[in-house]
Amino acid sequence: MLDDQRAEPAAAGPVRVPDATIRSAQRGDLIALHDLLEAITPYVRRLCWPIALQDAPDATQETLIVVLRKLGTLREPAALFGWVRVIAVREAVRVARQSSRTTPAELIELPAPDDPALTADISDVLDRLSPEHRAVLTLRDLEGLDEQAAGEMLGVPAGTVRSRLFRARESFRRAWRTEGGDR
Amino acid sequence: MTWPIGEIDDVRRLRVLAAAIPGAMYVETDLPAPFDEVWQVLGDLEQALPGLVPDVRSVHVTQHHGERFRAMVRGRSGLRAPFDGILRPGWCLMQSRFVSFGIAVVPAGDGTRLGYMAGFRLPGMRILGPLLVPANRLLGRVVVRRFVTRFARHVDTGGPPM
Repeated sequence: MLDDQRAEPAAAGPVRVPDATIRSAQRGDLIALHDLLEAITPYVRRLCWPIALQDAPDATQETLIVVLRKLGTLREPAALFGWVRVIAVREAVRVARQSSRTTPAELIELPAPDDPALTADISDVLDRLSPEHRAVLTLRDLEGLDEQAAGEMLGVPAGTVRSRLFRARESFRRAWRTEGGDR
Repeated sequence: MTWPIGEIDDVRRLRVLAAAIPGAMYVETDLPAPFDEVWQVLGDLEQALPGLVPDVRSVHVTQHHGERFRAMVRGRSGLRAPFDGILRPGWCLMQSRFVSFGIAVVPAGDGTRLGYMAGFRLPGMRILGPLLVPANRLLGRVVVRRFVTRFARHVDTGGPPM
């Protein structure tokens, strides 16, 4: 137990968590729970930020609580990060929807390509999307899931994911390019 | 571009751990002293924990490796157990075979926010946990009073903590 096993991922992508750590954490071992938190928190934050925006800390906290409380139901340690991803997306959408700060706009209200508003911050653009649309963007563009998998995770048909994704992604990219040009 | 800041601090992380441990007692409070001064005291486990943590009479760190340590803890109730732990600025976890314990502190304005967790590692805690709520509430008040008093004294005297 004295070996310093602290996981310090260079990026926010999944890192390998030893099966023994997961098994110990499932038995309530506090040190193993700490190690597990260290390993999954950057990944959870990366998923929660673009979906929950200002509420990302709350979404991250709620996700981690659900993950640790339900850890005993995880049968296959290799499935950890896929399992965490499902919980993180659902919790981020839930927290964002509950927030009084969330005022989702219809996608039709997004700025046109020549709209000066496109020079606005990316987060402003994201803020105009509903949490579900932000979740689609996150799952497709950050996680690389296809429409089918993203739809299953969000509980909507793949066609709905595809159509909603189109304008959200285009607006996101325009805003990103504009921001990049300004830097 | 600006991106939403979503870091969760160590007090929130301890809140997460406490929520995952059945029957754990968890309290938070604000301490009237800056983070550096608070951690200067709490980071010295052998000196700090006796008197602050209920039942703890002495703590003797026997091994240290990076953030990991092992300590022998003796209590007034007869407790005598080795604890494995993790210690870094603002964060301390300890567990024995039967007990889990944690402290987290983060800067909060001119003061410091404290999170404190303690729980038993016993079979059946999921069932027994709700029965411990009244006792945990009482114990939580005792812990908060001890910590606030300790650091209020620190500020009042303007000198090192007693």
